[in-house]
Amino acid sequence: MTEERIFDLVILGGGPAGMTAAIYAARAKLNTIILESNITGGLVNATYTVENFPSYPSIHGMDLMEKFRAHVDSLEVKVEEVCEIDRLELGGPFKRVITDEGTYAGRAIILATGRKPIPLATPTPSEQVHWCAICDGMAYVGKRVLVVGGGNSAFDESLYMLSIGIEHITLVEEMPRYFAAQATQERLFSCGKAVGHTSTKVADLIVENDVLKGAVLKHTESGETSTVKVDGVFVFLGQHPNNELFKDQLELTEQGYIRPGQDMGTGIPGVYSAGDINDKPFRQITTAVSDGTIAALAAERYIRSQGNVC
Amino acid sequence: MFEQLTDATYENRIAETAAGVCIFIKKLCPHCKNMMKVMEKFSALQPGVTLLSIDVEENKAAADALGAERAPTTLIIKGGSVVGKKAGLMNPKEMLAFYKSV
Repeated sequence: MTEERIFDLVILGGGPAGMTAAIYAARAKLNTIILESNITGGLVNATYTVENFPSYPSIHGMDLMEKFRAHVDSLEVKVEEVCEIDRLELGGPFKRVITDEGTYAGRAIILATGRKPIPLATPTPSEQVHWCAICDGMAYVGKRVLVVGGGNSAFDESLYMLSIGIEHITLVEEMPRYFAAQATQERLFSCGKAVGHTSTKVADLIVENDVLKGAVLKHTESGETSTVKVDGVFVFLGQHPNNELFKDQLELTEQGYIRPGQDMGTGIPGVYSAGDINDKPFRQITTAVSDGTIAALAAERYIRSQGNVC
Repeated sequence: MFEQLTDATYENRIAETAAGVCIFIKKLCPHCKNMMKVMEKFSALQPGVTLLSIDVEENKAAADALGAERAPTTLIIKGGSVVGKKAGLMNPKEMLAFYKSV
């Protein structure tokens, strides 16, 4: 496809914010497309259990995102996944997204690009470092795993890994305390197969003949080091904003996030933002849904003010 | 688009596949869903390739026999034999390059 395809609204990113925006846009009869670099669902896909989205006391993250997607599909919103985006052109009456399969132009655009996992920085690299327990946990059944991070993801994924038969988990958090929900912390540490260390970081990995043998841990206050024998490492250190496509066109915070107005506007007419890419104190599925709603309604108002809806 | 194989069917189906790719997946694995979409786009770049999939949680014998510890793991099949194997993610162009390299 080489010709330019024109829409009322182009949504960059198919996570909960982007899909919510698409639902509202479609119900407002806007010709809408979601462009997603991976698959719809975003980071929620890699969350084994979601227990705080009003509706389900407990649901697999991917199952929840498939329900979002089913709603989007029911409204016949076009979705392009595994979409390689080269650049954006955000000025002018049409906002253009140039991809490897052609150009998509929208009278308005919502940037809902989300975030990506922060990598583990160690002098020694290893292929046995992972970010998705559902994908890679199986390879460590009966073995010992190091989990890096002390938030909800680290604890939830640790519980998942123990449930599939990982023999033992060592969990390390660089700050002096864990950040996961108290109930989740208690659930993990009461099972007898996990130990945790706060004020501890991973100084290096021990690799022999391309096989991970262990990790060197360092106490951040005393400087003392110790080694732990592990067969795999799972990293849940948080995320970086996906801002490469527009960081030179928009004003961002020091951490690289968009600071939108109350209507999710970015300061460029017709350009809105939603979800984890926004600067905010709490990033949850519910806050992403809220952002997506507001961005879509504001985009609709803008588009109609320009006339000539597609 | 994907033909699903099982412990009972994988051996014969691979043996009769002249040109194909087989992906090992898990139901709740997001990278697997991503790779399946990649393989759909790859098949447009390489027409005539058969797309096969195996659920590793339901077909442990096939996974063990073919050495699939992680999901996704992609196998390249040519002339009825597995000629290449790679774990993890690729984009469609990388998938095409991998297919042509083995």
